[in-house]
Amino acid sequence: MTMETLKPNSLAESLIVCFFVQKCVQNTRLLIIKLLFMNVKMLARLTLVGLFACVLSLFSQAQNKTVSGKVTDAKDGSPLAGASVVVKGSKTGSQTGADGSFKISIPASATTLVVSSVGFGSQNVDIQGKTSVDISLAATSDNIGEVVVIGYGTARKKDLTGAITSVKAKDFNQGPITTPDQLIQGKVAGLQVINNSGQPGSATTIRIRGNSSVRSGNSPLFVIDGIPLDGRNARPGLNANGIGQTPDANPLYFYNPNDIASMDVLKDASATAIYGSRGANGVIMITTKKGSVGAPKIDFSANIGQNTVRKKYKVLNAAEYKAALSSYALTSGNDGSDVDAQDAIFRKGYIQNYNLGIGGGNENGKYRFSLGYSDQNGVILKSNLKKYNIGMNGQYKFLESKRLSLDFNLLAAHNTDIGVPVTNDAGFQGNLVGMALQWNPTRALYKSNGDLNIVPGESVVNPLAMSAGYDDLADITNIFATVGLGYKITDNLDYKFNISLNTQTGVRKATEAPYITIPGVEGRGFGFYANSELNSQVLQHTLNYNKKLTSALSMTALLGYEYQKFSYKGSGMSAQDFTNQGDVSFASIMQNSSAASRSIYSWNDPSSELQSYFGRLGFNYEDKYLLTATFRADGSSKFGSNNKYGYFPSAAFAWNIHNEGFMKGNNTFSSLKLRASYGVTGNSSFPAGSAQSQYTFGQQSIALANVANPDLKWESTKQFDLGLDFELASGVLYGSVDYFNRNTTNILFNFDAIQPAPATKYWVNLPGNVKNNGIEVSLGAAIIKKKDLQWNAQFNIAFLSNKLENYNGPAVLTGAISGQGLSGASVQRLTSGQPLNAFYMKEFMGLDQTGNSTFRDNGNTLYYIGNPNPKQLFGLSTDLTYKKWSFVANFNGAAGHDIYNNTLNALIPIGNLGSRNVASSLIGVSPKESLANPITTSTRYLEKGDYLKLANLSASYNVGTLGSLKNVRVFFTATNLFIITKYSGFDPEVNTDKNIGGVPSLGIEYTPYPAVKGFNIGFNFNL
Amino acid sequence: MKHIQKSAIALMLTVGVGFVSCTKLEEKLNSSLTADQAQSILLKSTDVSVLLQACYDGLQGFQSQDVATSLEENSSDESLVPTRGGDWDDNGVWRVIHAHTWNADHAQVGGVFNSLLGVVFNTTNVLNFSPSASQAAEARFIRAFAMYTVLDLYGQVPFREAGENLLNAPKVLKGAEAATFIIAELNAIKAALPNGPSAGGPAFKANKDAADVLLMKMYLNKGAYGNRATPTFDAADMNAAITIARSLSTKFTISANVWDNYAPSNDVIGKENIFTNQNIGGSRGGNVRAAWYKTNHYNMNKSGWNGFTTLAAVYDKFEATDTRLGVNYPDPAGVLPNPAKVNTTGFLIGQQFDLKTGAALKDRKGAPLAFTRAVALQESGTNLEVTGIRYWRYVVDNKDGNDGQPDNDYVFFRYSDVVLMEAEAILRGGTAQGGVTALSLVNSLRSKRGATAATSVILKNADQNSADAGGAISLLNERQREFHWDGWRRQDQIRFGTFLSPNALKPVTDAKYLLFPIPNGALAVNPNLTQNPGY
Repeated sequence: MTMETLKPNSLAESLIVCFFVQKCVQNTRLLIIKLLFMNVKMLARLTLVGLFACVLSLFSQAQNKTVSGKVTDAKDGSPLAGASVVVKGSKTGSQTGADGSFKISIPASATTLVVSSVGFGSQNVDIQGKTSVDISLAATSDNIGEVVVIGYGTARKKDLTGAITSVKAKDFNQGPITTPDQLIQGKVAGLQVINNSGQPGSATTIRIRGNSSVRSGNSPLFVIDGIPLDGRNARPGLNANGIGQTPDANPLYFYNPNDIASMDVLKDASATAIYGSRGANGVIMITTKKGSVGAPKIDFSANIGQNTVRKKYKVLNAAEYKAALSSYALTSGNDGSDVDAQDAIFRKGYIQNYNLGIGGGNENGKYRFSLGYSDQNGVILKSNLKKYNIGMNGQYKFLESKRLSLDFNLLAAHNTDIGVPVTNDAGFQGNLVGMALQWNPTRALYKSNGDLNIVPGESVVNPLAMSAGYDDLADITNIFATVGLGYKITDNLDYKFNISLNTQTGVRKATEAPYITIPGVEGRGFGFYANSELNSQVLQHTLNYNKKLTSALSMTALLGYEYQKFSYKGSGMSAQDFTNQGDVSFASIMQNSSAASRSIYSWNDPSSELQSYFGRLGFNYEDKYLLTATFRADGSSKFGSNNKYGYFPSAAFAWNIHNEGFMKGNNTFSSLKLRASYGVTGNSSFPAGSAQSQYTFGQQSIALANVANPDLKWESTKQFDLGLDFELASGVLYGSVDYFNRNTTNILFNFDAIQPAPATKYWVNLPGNVKNNGIEVSLGAAIIKKKDLQWNAQFNIAFLSNKLENYNGPAVLTGAISGQGLSGASVQRLTSGQPLNAFYMKEFMGLDQTGNSTFRDNGNTLYYIGNPNPKQLFGLSTDLTYKKWSFVANFNGAAGHDIYNNTLNALIPIGNLGSRNVASSLIGVSPKESLANPITTSTRYLEKGDYLKLANLSASYNVGTLGSLKNVRVFFTATNLFIITKYSGFDPEVNTDKNIGGVPSLGIEYTPYPAVKGFNIGFNFNL
Repeated sequence: MKHIQKSAIALMLTVGVGFVSCTKLEEKLNSSLTADQAQSILLKSTDVSVLLQACYDGLQGFQSQDVATSLEENSSDESLVPTRGGDWDDNGVWRVIHAHTWNADHAQVGGVFNSLLGVVFNTTNVLNFSPSASQAAEARFIRAFAMYTVLDLYGQVPFREAGENLLNAPKVLKGAEAATFIIAELNAIKAALPNGPSAGGPAFKANKDAADVLLMKMYLNKGAYGNRATPTFDAADMNAAITIARSLSTKFTISANVWDNYAPSNDVIGKENIFTNQNIGGSRGGNVRAAWYKTNHYNMNKSGWNGFTTLAAVYDKFEATDTRLGVNYPDPAGVLPNPAKVNTTGFLIGQQFDLKTGAALKDRKGAPLAFTRAVALQESGTNLEVTGIRYWRYVVDNKDGNDGQPDNDYVFFRYSDVVLMEAEAILRGGTAQGGVTALSLVNSLRSKRGATAATSVILKNADQNSADAGGAISLLNERQREFHWDGWRRQDQIRFGTFLSPNALKPVTDAKYLLFPIPNGALAVNPNLTQNPGY
């Protein structure tokens, strides 16, 4: 797409652009067809009428006088976006754009404008005889006035009774961000975000206030603009011959971080109980950017950057290898070359990102259109992620009374994801990173004639041959569309109807060349072609009521109904023995394979429906005493027939102490609020179909495949939260402290079936408790607050504790350890009295004089030793602005936990010497390790995971106006500049998926895609 | 504008009413059937053969290296998986089986229990779907076979009647009671079973002949199932076994080449096979390739996992002329010409050769790939890749495209077992019929195998690790020569009272190891199970 086509300045043109973006056309049509199938002909008609009206409204001009101007922050003269500009005594008004400017058409008789902004005071401005005015507003308070997003609505922060942390765009992490969750890493007390690996678009592990679920579904619920997401990803899974399972992609990797205006993290039950059976792990609300009143404005940003591997694994180089061979008196193993296989497969990964936003509107409606393109080369050869994003939203008001409103939001994305054979569970062969670590450094990667050095039949695989011979391409399209209709029935009563559809389709093609010397692949090759489709629908009806009951007491009420439906299906085929040995991808010529090698499959998961009724009631007495009660009833088709509905209540109380009479005259606290809440939330992350009998189809066979459990229900979490929010000296120092206590019962688990049974496991609600408690502290300070110099800092820390109690069943194994000599090994257990995923293994006591490992109690006893759950999580952000320069640094870290290094354990042990490479740390130590020392799991490979990381550091310069470009800003960001850790692997921020039978693991590294460091430079401007 | 306002309100109401109406939240399974659907579909439009197929597929669990056969063989005196430096430690799971130090957390102990009882469930479930008499008999035979294996390993068999609530703990049949139940089942269904190979039926289906062989196994082992430490042998049981053997002897003969029974086309040429698990090359079947993968070195034809070995004492029990020691069996796929003309079945000892080029093979460190007699449970020397004598039970299927799914059917019962069981029943106090003796039966087998004729036969030697002296043959040794790595050795050793005795790599072990423990997971959910003594 060229820049020429990217300058639509009306909604109609935006629509046209969207429809001509090739990748989206089919899916958009599909969606429209689905909308019609929803039997809402009237709705569709109205939508079209509405869209048409919106477009018309853009061109209509009132015959009045026009006043323009700019609203700035009195503190530093920076523009105030979204400030309200209203003619005094009327409803005619406008809002300022991103650069603080406004243009308003007002009756010729108007004399005064009222200008106000959230968090700032309001000001009357005389406009008699003026067509242009500039206004500077003074901040009333930095934080307390801000609006945060809560379930099915918004609230002023000062009215909150729950524990909610809101992060606005200006505070997001900087640098090459691929997925939205990375924006708030380290920003929220008690929120843990682990980038599982350095692969572009890789999954992250997200936990709010620790692990509460034994089995699965520890991730929070994500809600985009009020619509809950499915949480899965339609990239088809791939288990190619000989290489193992490729890691999952991030379910949020379709969403453009640049389109996000704020993220709000809902932590306590008061905030999350409104999400009922899915609220137990917390909720993250994502709000996308919207247009603002004024002439169409364009904002554009571009950046380019480069990543490299943050740290290579320490294995022997050629000289060290030769020395090691001779020290062990090995006569073979020196092939005479000198290569570094890590250097051979790693590269500089170039990144580019472009974002264009067009927004505007008037008092009748606003719109925003955005385009995003990002192209990210990974640091491993071939690896690449391209994202194409289109966003389009509008908020329109109709009728003379402006009582009817129409909102729409379309987020379309297409991702092209080129994968590499870096898998979670390969043996000593099959993982590209593992192959590079093991490659004998004296062995040439290329033959003298320039061909790759491949020895047929050999068990060692040349990593460059693996890289060259492996292709894995996934194309995934995501369309997320929402239409909302609102009607203000009375001044106090609002009705809103939302309908949302989310459809994702993924296609994945993979090829392994027959020259890859992995048994089962060598001489045969492998081709794979699969697709999958993920659909969800959401319908919401809400009624909001706000009423001042007396002069002191006001009330808010919410009543709602929500219906959701989810489905997931797909198919695939694989084959081998292709006659073609040329450059044609096997995935494109599956018919060329031998008939006997072909395998086909298709699946269509049970669809699930969720039907909910919910309400919230809030009272505010004199802004001193706040009371909120919520209730949700969730009915799910997944729950067993005996438990179709679950009920989730919460209540919370807040006391604005600073509004009390006795605080009058106190100049220390500008705000002081005590909060307490208690409530019940649920977790229903078990597969649909688990409650009833299912006969599944095998090859010409049918068998009962599960044990039906009609008593199956959600997992229940009771949470108590006590919090204190404070602000000193009008925002110079602010913060909050929360204590929480969560108790999870009716633990969802895939437990041993009672044999004889059709399956080895079935879903039950186990007796037992998962207890999480902790303290979260957030502190912020405006350290320097001068016109030319501002310095702010925010710090957060959470102290967490996690334990499984009252569970009487046998210990549950997880944390599978992969590699030769480690089949079936595991290092984690779930058992009563221990934290979830407690490490359980032999205790290593050093090498004996013969160079063999010794263990406590001769290795006959295994011990609970080590914990992968951090005891502390922390984040530190600071920004410094001096005149036109600003500098931002974001740190994050974790402490008190352990990481198991499966890479070191399995892939580069001493026994490799003579054929493959070994870890540097094994050489030159005394006593000298025996080549025959068995590979086994033990605390030898358990390492402290503590770290502090400078996640990103950025500097920017505000150029200002440059010709017709406004607010030109150039910036430089460095990511992962340094890390303080004792962990010996690639990066302590790692979580390779080593689940056993679906029981998740935590804190294990196994030849992951390595973490990266890098920098990027870029600029942005407005038009 | 007014009429827009009205229509908007009308719309709101329509939409509101339209969408608030509740759904019943009925779950749609999409790609599987509910119990009701399965009933109606299986009864009306197809038949239960698809359910029965799943039962046969359940027996594929026997074919892998880490399942029931691992427990039956690696715990005995003829198979072990030594830890070789970096290979096959697997947290000690293999060593503890051979050393008799396993416990109730052992993954194979748990996995085998679940997988066999899954077969028991599936077969019982067939009975819910109005099968024909023959189909019901097939299901009940497969169930009897799975129950017998559970009994053999664990001494207790949980059992549900068809249609029982799966959330309730089922009753448990123990020891002799379970044996009696299985025998009654087999007698009840035998007439309804399909014809076996003796009447032209396939060995890979449950059949009358297979029921006969399993009955013989039950009669011989019944005493051991009642008391493993000191088994007794009831003469009536022995006679019952002999009667069955006589009737089978008129229908089967011993193959001229024992290896035909293990060849890729053994469903056609394996004339001794009475009950097998079907594999169709490249198309369907189980993991029979583990038979060679588990023992082959990385650098051999079929690069393997360099694990399982046998013991020298076993190798020494064979005469040089015994074809069971191994033969050069021409590659059925015609892929490997074997210019060095080495054996391609049986025991692998000493220098190994590339079957394609004839070149002498090397290990991964460049040393000659020459398998040694000596082996330790935990290897420590520089030759740890090559220690231990390897063994090829099955003829390797080298056909292109069959690597993942070889064609060799997996063998459970062979006719030669009938012959040796008859001899044993006679030696254990049964009355010989039809003019045969234990010695004549043993010699009828030995002559086909290229072994010299025995002059006498006894049950066992004083030391089960010793070779037979001259023509004095021990039946226990003969069974080992005939069924090496076939999955019978633990059962035989228990019946002959040598299971706890020392061998080269293990001392005398405690009597509790005559049974495997009930897995902890199973104990936790079924209070009717009691842990076996000593665990």
